[in-house]
Amino acid sequence: MSNVPADLKYTKSHEWTRVTADVPGIATVGITDHAQHELTDIVFVELPEIGRRLKAGEACAVVESVKTASDIYCPLSGEIIEVNKSIVNDPALVNREPHSGGWFFKIKFSNAAELDSLLTPESYEAQIKG
Amino acid sequence: MAKEILEMPVELTTMELPDTKTIRLKWPDGHNPDFKTGQFITLYWPDTPNYKRAYSLSSCCLDRGFYEVTVKRDGKMGTRLVDWAKVGDKLFVIPPVGKFLPVYEPQKHLVCIAGGSGVTPFRAYVREATRRKLETKITILYSVRQPKDIIFNSEFRELETQNPHFKFHVTCTRAKPEDNWTGRTGRVDAAWVREHVADLANTFFYACGPNPLVEFAEAVVFEFGAPKEQMKTEKWG
Repeated sequence: MSNVPADLKYTKSHEWTRVTADVPGIATVGITDHAQHELTDIVFVELPEIGRRLKAGEACAVVESVKTASDIYCPLSGEIIEVNKSIVNDPALVNREPHSGGWFFKIKFSNAAELDSLLTPESYEAQIKG
Repeated sequence: MAKEILEMPVELTTMELPDTKTIRLKWPDGHNPDFKTGQFITLYWPDTPNYKRAYSLSSCCLDRGFYEVTVKRDGKMGTRLVDWAKVGDKLFVIPPVGKFLPVYEPQKHLVCIAGGSGVTPFRAYVREATRRKLETKITILYSVRQPKDIIFNSEFRELETQNPHFKFHVTCTRAKPEDNWTGRTGRVDAAWVREHVADLANTFFYACGPNPLVEFAEAVVFEFGAPKEQMKTEKWG
């Protein structure tokens, strides 16, 4: 059973987004517990460059497991302001802590309205249960 | 004997398609492993020991002296293998494991549903069955985008002529008029799978490929009423 934290928003392509009141305008992005479970052991992560401007839905990172390689899509439009180098050095961290230490990048988003089009935890859970 | 990780040289490479390559890895002298058709090996390059990828064997257990994997240019490893692996290069090989194994019994029918490079383990299934002249029926239902994406097309057609119990069926999801494809089009669907099932109780289903295809195949088979034990899957993630 995958963990779907209630404080996150989700995409159909299995990214999560966290926005907290203490850092408004900045979203942290990672891949979901369900995604890491389906991918199995993650062995390589490629992250976007800091300063890169992205549109919502654009492919911006790559994650590779022992079984497959997948693109990671940016949930929101904006500019990359920080990346998590820990997962480059230790890709398995994404498997161990997908919603915390295994985050991918932080983005300064340019259109807050896009947050409303992301999936709620309930909708995402329904999607992965099929 | 404990299974050990061995360094093996690339003995042969074959471009199956512009983005898909078969790599033959030569066993060291005296190596005579016990493994099963349908298992997978895990590979890594000597310079990146933490970066490993698992690939289904496209060779069968009767192919001795080497392992073959058929790799698509996908991700860092897939790109390095397809674009750069050459004869003489050495790779570390973690021995075969896995339970995606064919049930070779005379009255059984193996319906193998594949997408893209998910067809590679089924080449091994059919090779073994054909060489052993087994009576097990094998039907491959293979989904590709266009005819040019069919991996092992000529080998499967040749195996069909050698093995009266084997049938190879392809569906193209994005065939273009210029492909002149006269075969089936569209995705794998329940009706197409059902068409090939004459005796559900004696049919084993296998699905290998992208997760959506495999999950769809699982749903279809369970809808038919086949018990879980009659379905084996290999997902890519």
